[in-house]
Amino acid sequence: MASDNTIRILDGNTFVVSEDTGDIEATPSEPTGLFSLDTRFLSRWVLTVNGERLNALSYDDLQYYEARFFLVPGLATHYIDAKLSIVRERAVGGSFREQLTILNHDENPVDLEIRMDAGSDFADLFQVKDEIVNKKGELYAEAEADRLRLGYRRGNFRRETVITTSGPARYDRNGFAFTVHLEPNSRWSTDIEVRTYALGPGGRDLRMGLRVHGGERLALQHDLREWIAAAPKVNSECEHLARTYQRCLVDLAALRFSPLSLGGTLPAAGLPWFMTMFGRDSILTCLQVLPFAPGLSRTTLRILAALQGTRFDDFREEDPGRILHEMRYGETAAFEEQPHSPYYGSVDATPLFVVLLDEYERWSGDAALVRELEQECRAALRWIDEYADLVGDGYVWYERRNTDTGLENQCWKDSWDSISYRDGRLPGFPRATCEVQGYAYDARVRAARMAREFWDDPAFADRLERDAARLKERFNRDWWVPDGEFYALALDADGRQADVLSSNIGHLLWSGIVDHDRAEKIAHHLVGPRLFSGWGVRTLAEGEVRYNPIGYHNGTIWPFDNSFIAWGLRRYGFAEEAATIADGILDAARYFEGRLPEAFGGYPRELTKFPVEYPTACSPQAWSTGTPMLLLRTMLGLEPHEGHLSVEPRLPVGMGRIEVLDIPGRWGRVDAFARGRLELDKLA
Amino acid sequence: MLDATARFFEDLDRRGYEPLLARTSGTIRFDLNEGPRTTHWLLTVDRGRLRSSQEDREADVVVGTSPALFEGLVTGREHGIAALLRGDMTMTGNARLVVQVERILPGPPESHGPRQRPRRGVR
Repeated sequence: MASDNTIRILDGNTFVVSEDTGDIEATPSEPTGLFSLDTRFLSRWVLTVNGERLNALSYDDLQYYEARFFLVPGLATHYIDAKLSIVRERAVGGSFREQLTILNHDENPVDLEIRMDAGSDFADLFQVKDEIVNKKGELYAEAEADRLRLGYRRGNFRRETVITTSGPARYDRNGFAFTVHLEPNSRWSTDIEVRTYALGPGGRDLRMGLRVHGGERLALQHDLREWIAAAPKVNSECEHLARTYQRCLVDLAALRFSPLSLGGTLPAAGLPWFMTMFGRDSILTCLQVLPFAPGLSRTTLRILAALQGTRFDDFREEDPGRILHEMRYGETAAFEEQPHSPYYGSVDATPLFVVLLDEYERWSGDAALVRELEQECRAALRWIDEYADLVGDGYVWYERRNTDTGLENQCWKDSWDSISYRDGRLPGFPRATCEVQGYAYDARVRAARMAREFWDDPAFADRLERDAARLKERFNRDWWVPDGEFYALALDADGRQADVLSSNIGHLLWSGIVDHDRAEKIAHHLVGPRLFSGWGVRTLAEGEVRYNPIGYHNGTIWPFDNSFIAWGLRRYGFAEEAATIADGILDAARYFEGRLPEAFGGYPRELTKFPVEYPTACSPQAWSTGTPMLLLRTMLGLEPHEGHLSVEPRLPVGMGRIEVLDIPGRWGRVDAFARGRLELDKLA
Repeated sequence: MLDATARFFEDLDRRGYEPLLARTSGTIRFDLNEGPRTTHWLLTVDRGRLRSSQEDREADVVVGTSPALFEGLVTGREHGIAALLRGDMTMTGNARLVVQVERILPGPPESHGPRQRPRRGVR
């Protein structure tokens, strides 16, 4: 897994992960390299001067798409009187470019042999992730007079890396070199360009005609400036809050991903493993950032609609109406060794698609999109009714049909041991998890509004509302765990409860399926000592058999999870409880310089004093990036209401004054002001 | 051998309308290449209305495959997006149109969809 000193720059699904010297020396398990289209295009990129490796003095990640490294020859203990400095300045965007500059600080001239070792294993990202690189095709390397070509061929599948330099270089099959004579106090510089190709027969690139956002460095710079200018401004007495917001805004820009051939951008899920579209992650991120970047919702909905399932495909777990889980472009997807072309094994993306469309309209007033996607929405609702109800009892279930490479758990807690009974045993399949029933309830309620207001189908609206009301009634009967007074995490096919206390109950508040007289119990659990660590709500409560403070879905704290829980608490009127969670998570963000990781440990806050990052967490990750934005919305009580934006702030005292300026929506742009007045200590 | 391909286009022509393509318009030419021989099929989509013919005419996007692969696609034994990623199918022109039309191809014949349990009944 990526060690802490790796440097990452990215643009869409092209990214570079390197050591702090800028070097890349990938091993099967080390996800360093230049990646694009889920393929590693460089696995070796090592700079030497006169045969010597270089040592890092410092680096700057200037923007998400560029970084600069300051290096000297020799080992760490020797560099103090170095007479040479080496600067590597690199950027991604269309291609990968590196400018190499060498400065001679000596009073004597020097003769230098500068060499870059370059190579690629063309590993599929899945092979890197699973630590198996077992190529079935043929690798090749061709040194030409003015370039080095690295390639991989398997049938008609061809990927190539082409390296050129601005100054004359000597190319061989393992890299390229320069012989340089440097006078005292002078410098030498060259530009290296690495282009990636996904070639079909006839040498045509798969991405031809595709407009990647940005492209060249200036375009990227311009695009980022415009992105920031279009978003609301956040000013805050509490300095770290404004900093966190700024960090998130830039990371969100970096995570925008333009799928092949469909146009528009949606948030990719996270670096390094998930730089692609995910139904669930993209939708939840759009929901989080709606007040700040509403345009992402529009394109995400359109792209997911364009790829909505139309047929039964058991390998890809596709059904008519189902919204995709994950799309990949690498070799294993191409040769159907993995099902991601796209893969549909997600049980929540489909109801969440309907939820996002409605929420987006409430903010934007974009009725045209609601009309445009009526057919897709109806197909999604049909999927919930007809294909997801595997047991015939009106709930949404999952059981994978692709038993080789499909996902066992198709809810957001998708690790193998995330769903358990109180005694720790794992239920059989099919399974139904509680939060998904909430989403399905909310999808029907929201679709009823859209059917009445935009689709001119009041009869459909009535039916949806009746179905939703019946679901709510049954759910509150079948899922309530009487001795613990919370909702079960899941049901098994026999209707037995997976009766553990989990964070999922917070999502139920968000969806509105919780009976009002039970909401207070749920709120108390969420900020109670078993679930709340002081930083946030644990995925699984302390005291459960499978609880482990660093168990991926069995005790860690997921910032995104907490943001929806806070939203849910606020929805049911528990503003102080919501602020408690928001305060904890935003405090934790300070320890990560505003960039919340995917997950951190569930240790009690007073034990560790700082949040312990989960070891293999992705960062930046889209729904962690969206978290501070949804927390801001929640604390400020921003809510579209009859064409206006209503603001009802409930902030902790320590946050001081916050202003959010130019919030876009159907009202044009409005400002929201708030002052911290809640004494959270009193709650505890 | 190519009966399935001819049947596929004739069926589209007969069907005349495909709701999944209600917002789609454009022309796709399929060039099925086998050695020196190329068979052409032209599909015209006009907001869901379909017309197919065996014409070699300019189109918004041209898709190239072998006749055997195309036969696999129209019978659900092959998958369009995977074939594109693999380079076994190429496209020149409006790629969005291909991704949209790919959705009307059938799923694998052996795929039966979700395994629904005997109804437990709504209690």
